[in-house]
Amino acid sequence: MLRAEAISFRYDTAEVLHDVSLAVGHAGPTGVLGPNGSGKTTLLRLMGGLQTPSAGRITLDGRNLSSYPRGLLARRMATVPQETHLVFDYSVLEIVLMGRYPHLPTFATEGPVDLEYAAEALAATGTSDLAARSFMTLSGGEKQRVVIASALAQLFTADDTTSSSYVLLLDEPTASLDLAYQLEIASLIRELSSRGIAMLISTHDLSLAASVCRELVLLRHGRALAAGPTRDVLTEDMVRSLYDVDAQVTRHPTTGDVLVIPVGRTHEHTQ
Amino acid sequence: MTDAGIVATRTALGVGNLRRRLLTTQAVFAGTALAVCLLAPLVGPTPISLRKVFDGSIPFADNVDAQIFFIARLPRALAGALVGGALAAAGVVLQALLRNPLATPFTLGVSAGASLGAMIVIIFGLPLTVVGIPAVTLASFAGALAAVGIVYSLARLRRQGLSTNVLLLAGVTLNSLFSAVIMFVQYLADFSQNFQAVRWLMGNLNVSGYEPIVWALPLMAVAVAGFAWLPRSLNLLTLGSEHAATRGVNVLRAQRLAFFSASLATGAAVSLGGPIGFIGIIVPHIARLLVGADHRMVLPASAFLGAAFLVICDVGARTLMAPVELPVGIITAILGGPFFLWLLIRSR
Amino acid sequence: MAAHTKPIGSRQTCQMVAAVLVLAIGLVLAQTGRPERIISIVPSVTQILFAIGAESQLIGIGSFDQVPEGYDRTDEFARIGGLIDPDMERVFTLRPDLVVLYTSHVNQRQQLERAGIPVLEYEHTGLADIPQTIRSLGARTGRTVQAETIAARMDTRLASIRARVDGRPRPRTLLVFSREPMALSNIYASGGIGFLHDMLETAGGENVFEGLERENVAQVSSEAILAAAPDVIIEVRYAEHVPAEEIEDERNVWRRLSTVPAIRSGQIHFLTGNHFVVPGPGVVEATEELARALHPEAFDRTP
Repeated sequence: MLRAEAISFRYDTAEVLHDVSLAVGHAGPTGVLGPNGSGKTTLLRLMGGLQTPSAGRITLDGRNLSSYPRGLLARRMATVPQETHLVFDYSVLEIVLMGRYPHLPTFATEGPVDLEYAAEALAATGTSDLAARSFMTLSGGEKQRVVIASALAQLFTADDTTSSSYVLLLDEPTASLDLAYQLEIASLIRELSSRGIAMLISTHDLSLAASVCRELVLLRHGRALAAGPTRDVLTEDMVRSLYDVDAQVTRHPTTGDVLVIPVGRTHEHTQ
Repeated sequence: MTDAGIVATRTALGVGNLRRRLLTTQAVFAGTALAVCLLAPLVGPTPISLRKVFDGSIPFADNVDAQIFFIARLPRALAGALVGGALAAAGVVLQALLRNPLATPFTLGVSAGASLGAMIVIIFGLPLTVVGIPAVTLASFAGALAAVGIVYSLARLRRQGLSTNVLLLAGVTLNSLFSAVIMFVQYLADFSQNFQAVRWLMGNLNVSGYEPIVWALPLMAVAVAGFAWLPRSLNLLTLGSEHAATRGVNVLRAQRLAFFSASLATGAAVSLGGPIGFIGIIVPHIARLLVGADHRMVLPASAFLGAAFLVICDVGARTLMAPVELPVGIITAILGGPFFLWLLIRSR
Repeated sequence: MAAHTKPIGSRQTCQMVAAVLVLAIGLVLAQTGRPERIISIVPSVTQILFAIGAESQLIGIGSFDQVPEGYDRTDEFARIGGLIDPDMERVFTLRPDLVVLYTSHVNQRQQLERAGIPVLEYEHTGLADIPQTIRSLGARTGRTVQAETIAARMDTRLASIRARVDGRPRPRTLLVFSREPMALSNIYASGGIGFLHDMLETAGGENVFEGLERENVAQVSSEAILAAAPDVIIEVRYAEHVPAEEIEDERNVWRRLSTVPAIRSGQIHFLTGNHFVVPGPGVVEATEELARALHPEAFDRTP
């Protein structure tokens, strides 16, 4: 439903993305995997409608993103940025309620329906008991979950109780988190996905990509090295091309997920 | 979603009705500001009788009490309310726009431009009025507009959108530049002009008439109209402009509106009363300590609080050392600083 | 070692004569002791020096000091700066033998003392001290006769003014010496001490701020003026000439305070000229102008 067709993006004179295509659907999260500087964040911003591609087009349900009015787009797609730094101290509930922005006219205040959705979003991310807490006092994982809740609250609408028309975009959701929180977020992503919410996740974390994403686009220097189902795309050759790292790709004995075990940098590892 | 969950969430906010809470808070602050404005003209070094002030049988030209009330004191209260409210509100908006709790209405150079405009008139002497408004007031507003124009053009130069970093840097640079020019102009001036100039820079609400207020009112009204659109956008802007954009905020429009409304309010305020410091940075923080961070509360609350605060400071300025007037900026600093520190300590 | 005597040659004679001459001149100078290279950055002192005829001994004056009208060699005086920051480098370059400074110029005085340059300190005082200042400047510059003439004339004329207004009712007067143009703000008025106040008293007026122990009342509020209700308002201005329309416009600015007796009766006077702000010999004329404004009927008859 969210589809990019041969998009490129040029920033001043540098070409950041070239001829990238991908599709985001409901079957499972789509991941954009690549090292830092590969253009992942730019790709995510383009897919989220924050910027327009220099070439190619991005469509949501067949309609070009740029033709969507701002408010409507915000009700269909929500991006969770990599980090959220607050300047002033808001409560968790206030942050989640801010997600209702595209649903309310300028001078309206949040009503019971909005509160309802906020509560649902909090419950979905397991943060209901944090509602009255101050955002700044939360742990990294809790903060990330709250921001995801805020994005969810942004997407819920009364006339569409199924999740079939939302897209949630996550930019490096585990980048600054400790291991325990990484696992927390990963399991949250899986759960949201199982409810049918379409997701696009950008990450440089191999294990997250492997364990959570159903489809992957491998990005290096702005170009897609490969795209397709994770188990097909995440091969040892691909890992080497992407990261200059030799790895062993196997299956997790318990979960059955694709498991990538780094062995060493390519030029070090000699036969 | 369990009912218990919903109940827990509702109680967390203390909200049955957010709107009612908003309106109640605003009413309290507005009421306080109004009360202060009405009482302030009654207080002063010369005792006056309220009955005599409103005694219609005495012709105005003979009623000293009435003249003190209506000519000397009431315009000051009104001007103080306008200036204090404008500076406090502009402070809130700029702190959100620049994502910096230390931002003040003077950060972006508006006040420096206004001061330079005033200096030039004072020192090169253009003693005229236009429809009852002194040239100094008009020139300082023109200076403010010039500063706004320069800063905005600079911030738009390099790329699409409005770079708040460039805005900040341009403002700071303009402040330094204008301050240097002001000092140079003062150097060229003779002694008595310097006196006038330095005193203007300390801030003064002694408007003996209603003309400057009437002139400033439409400007303030436009700024307030701009402010009215902003609170929810400001909430999101403080999370980051990318964050706000993805929530559906028209970031460029919100930033422009914030910048121009705040600059207009500041320019009008400084033209009216000189650069009175301290209100634009401290009142927003006091308001936040009292009502939380939601700008729908903070913005109006700051405005009312700022109005009340400045009017009270002005009563002090004109009473403490009568018949000499103290620069009101001194009183704002002396009163506001320790009070804010006390609030901070108490809330830890 | 044999004594080495040579006959005195012509070159040595010249040297000896030169030495004797220098000695002689020095002795003469030491006798007169009067400074010939005076720098004054105090406007009133500069004015007095001109008045007592010491301008030939003057080489440098303050940037805002005025040279008397009609004096044609105005550019022969170096301009040294003003109250805020006199140009000390320039002062040293000019090699003065007397520098007149304000008492507040502590730094500058120390610098000059270190360089061995004599310093005369000046401080604004009251009206009565001005003739005294003239006399002491006269003594210092060797112009005692002229100084005495001027000082005595001042004393006489001031006494005459006092006599004219003596016994007449003294109107309560607000004496404003600075104000924001075309606005009733930043009003500076004379307080109960200082030469402006003294001039007002001599001219037969009662200062509304008589009780205040300060020379300047800064930022007088409209309320204070309404409460003080002066009978006469006098504004003094530094400028030499102010166009009549401007004066009329400025008078109108006061109209809004209509309960003030001075404004109701139209007793708002504008007096211009630097003799109002510089405490020099010109204060006599200033005082007389004040007296004429306050008691016009006392000056109807020719003296």
